[in-house]
Order: sequence, then C-alpha cells, then structure tokens
Amino acid sequence: MADQTQDGKLQVRLVTPDRELVDTAADAVELPGRTGYLEVLYGAAPLLTELGTGLVTIHGGGEGNDRYYVAWGFAEVLPNRVTILAESAEKPEQIDASAAQREYERGQKMWDQAREDPAQYERANELMHDAQARMDAKGGNQ
Amino acid sequence: MANVLDLKRRIRSVKNTRQITKAMKMVSAAKLRRAQERAVAARPYAQMMASVIRSLMRRIDIYNPKTGEVRHQLLMPREEKNVLLIVVSGDKGFAGAFNSNIIKAAQRFIATENGERGLNVDIETIGRKARDLFRRRYRAAQITRDAEAGDQKPAEELEGMSLDSELEEKPLVRKRGERSAAIEVTGDHPGMLEKLRFDAVAEIGQDIVDRYISGEIDAAYMVFNEFRSVISQRVVVERLVPLAEPPGEHEVAQAEEPSIEERERAGEAALSAGVSLQEPDTHEADEEAQKFGTADVDYIYEQPPEEMLRSLLPRFVATQLYRGMLESVASEHAARMTAMDSASNNASEMIDSLTLTMNRVRQAAITKEIIEIVSGAAAL
Repeated sequence: MADQTQDGKLQVRLVTPDRELVDTAADAVELPGRTGYLEVLYGAAPLLTELGTGLVTIHGGGEGNDRYYVAWGFAEVLPNRVTILAESAEKPEQIDASAAQREYERGQKMWDQAREDPAQYERANELMHDAQARMDAKGGNQ
Repeated sequence: MANVLDLKRRIRSVKNTRQITKAMKMVSAAKLRRAQERAVAARPYAQMMASVIRSLMRRIDIYNPKTGEVRHQLLMPREEKNVLLIVVSGDKGFAGAFNSNIIKAAQRFIATENGERGLNVDIETIGRKARDLFRRRYRAAQITRDAEAGDQKPAEELEGMSLDSELEEKPLVRKRGERSAAIEVTGDHPGMLEKLRFDAVAEIGQDIVDRYISGEIDAAYMVFNEFRSVISQRVVVERLVPLAEPPGEHEVAQAEEPSIEERERAGEAALSAGVSLQEPDTHEADEEAQKFGTADVDYIYEQPPEEMLRSLLPRFVATQLYRGMLESVASEHAARMTAMDSASNNASEMIDSLTLTMNRVRQAAITKEIIEIVSGAAAL
C-alpha cells in the first residue's frame, strides 16, 4: 500500500453490508455526494460526506474505469485513501432496467395518491429519484 | 424374542436413518462455512459505521446547548413502558436445542419484563419456529395500515390499482391505546433467513426506528444466537434502541453460555465434518475498520455533522439487526451440524447393539436346532 501511495495513487475501498467489494489503487474517484458529485484526487483534504444515489466511478483502478451504482452511502476521504460505505452497490450492467422502470411507475402512482400527506410525497419522490438514477446509470453504460 | 428377520429389518432402517443424518451433517457443515464467511465479511461495514458514529458524536454536542434537548432520540433512553422483542429463531428443526433455547430465552425475557416489571411487550418473530409458537400463545396485534387506509375509497379507484403495491407502501400504524393485550405479536418474517438480504433487514430496522420515534415502543431488544466460534454459540438478548453508549458496544441484557460438554460435543462434530475450528484472522481488518472516520485530522464535513448523524443512526440499527441475523444463521447451521453428528453416532451405536442381539438370536436358534437334532437322534 505504501509504495502505491507514493506515486500519487489513491487507495480506494468500497464496503457494503455484505462484503468488501473493492480494494484497489486508483488515480481518482468520483463520488455521488448527497449535495452533488465530487471527484477526489490524490492529496485531497480530509472529508466526510454522505452519498446520495448515483455512480461511484473509480478511474485507473485495475482495468480502466470501474463504475458502481450506489444507493445511500457514506465516504471518508483522506489524502491517500478513500473509503466508501455503501448500503448497496451494483455494477451498472447488473441493473435491471425494467425493474427500475416499474419502480418509477410505482413512485408516480404513490405521488398521485399521496393527497395531503407530506411524508407520502417524500417517499414517492425518493422512490422516483432512486429509480431514475438507476435508469440513468444503466443508460450511461450503453 | 424377536427373530432374525425382524432385527435385520430394523438394522437396515437405522442404517438408512444414519445415512440421512450424515448427509444432513455434511450439508450443514458446508452451509456453516458459507454462513461464517458471510458473517465475517459483514463485519467491516458494521464496525466502520460504529466508529464514524462515535467520531461524529465526539465532535458535536449530543445535547443542544440552547434547549438542553438531546439531538437524537435514538441516543436518549426513556422510561420503558412498551418494549419490542425481536426473536430470531430458525426456519427448520433438526438443530438440537437451537430453537428451544431461543424460545426459552425469549419467554424468560417476557416473564421478567411483563410479569415482574409490568411492561407491555410486543413480539416480532423472524424465522418459522418462533412464529409458530408465539402465534399460538399470544394474540396478534390489530394493526391497520396508515390512517388513510380506513377511509372508504370509491370502488373504481380501488380497482384501478394493484392491491399489494398499495399495501406495501402504506406504513404500519397502530394507534396508542389500541392494544388488546399486554403481550402481542406485531409481526413475523418467516423464510427471511434463507436468503438473507440487507435491504429486507433494513426495512425492519426502519420500522423499529419509526415505532420508537412515534412513541409506540420505548425500547427494542433482540434475542438471537450469537456466533462466536464453531464450538461456542450463546443466546443473548441485546438492546437495539435506544442505542448503547457508545454505539457499537453490544449491550447484552441476558446471556446463556453453552456448557463444557456441549462445546466438546460441537468440537468433535466439527472435526469429523472437516470444519476448521480456527477463526479466520480478522484482527488487522478490524483495526483498520475502527479507524474509519476517526483519523486525527480536521475533516471537512460536506453536510452538518448533526445531519449526518441523523441519517446514520437509523441505518446503524439495521446493521445491528443484520449482524444478529447473520450470526443466528451461522449458529443454526453449527447447531444442526452438531445435532446431526450426535444422531449419526447414536445410530451407529444402535446398529452395533442390534447386530449383537441379532447374532445372539441367530446363535440361539442354531443351538436350539442342534439340541433338537441331537436329542431326536438320542431318542431313536
């Protein structure tokens, strides 16, 4: 690890509740922060952030770019190390587009039926947002 | 006395049984290995979560300096009036005392909480065995889905939508004071352990947190088999919410250790099934995980720490729940492996003693025939 970090490589780990998915050296990593995407390079200032739904892209790790779709997570950025906790992470090619589409429609239906319940609207929004992000991730891959 | 043919038949039947128990033992051993791997693989996430919560808590005041209120309800214990007990049992039997130990521990918990302290207890079961028992013993809670579900909807509106998607989205709501008995079963999740997925567990976790925050319950406990190694599992009752201080410590309310004989038995079973007793060395990874979010630097917080904490804490409850279930699954397989090993041994003993009896009976028959022949010859 030490020799990898010397030549300006970031050590990137992606951990899910099931297992450690990725542990690799990379040039840069893009994170879907809750308040917007951010890209981390070697030597970044220490940072803690919550992740929203979106794509984690690991540049220059192993073979080319590695992309993972995550839904909610948490990341710690240190100058030479990025650790990502993700509640779920999947490769974009594994995403089931039709399932995402169905989820989106379900969200829309909830929205229509939410009436005056703000919590219901919020849930519907979340669902649609998540489904939309999945579909985007899938689409971007093709 | 039984004749040779009967005994032969019995021996054959016991042999068949032994074959089945042996096969079950080997299957359990294989499943145990996988379950153990999963439990170990799940550790870093839980530990990292705990350490980042601890680190955040150090950096922000838990108490709001102006109002003196606790920033997050999940951290503040309150007087217990209604408690929720989550019982994690197995889906299937043939695992020795695994399920009955869990149920015994759960009943003892209910007896102290309800009997001695006079609290209301809600029960939520995971796994078929506990469900079957508690369903019979206690009443099911009357739970309606959402306040709006009671509204009469026009029939055509109901027809248009698929019923189950509607049911899925409405949160479960039980109004205060609707309790019909002091002990009630509020839900069950049979078959969940077979293919344990985090998102399913996260839903239960969210439900617990919602119920805690809405004031329906004042604490939630989980009774499960803690898996410490292949030869040592114990039944523990752990508090899920409010969170222990500091978060990540396991607050064990009740625990039962296995006896030395039980351990020895399990050790033998593991040895004969080829399961390594050696714990995988995770020390380094553990230490690594504990450092998450706690580096000695000034972090930039993308979001205010309080906000991060607010979204981390409920998820942490799910992580704890997930850990309990993974360990329970591993324990179940270990218990089944031990039980099936004992069963195979007992079958072997039985076959030996039956074979002995059969040989004696056969010998006796031969002797009797010879005597008959000899005395017949003498009588001539």
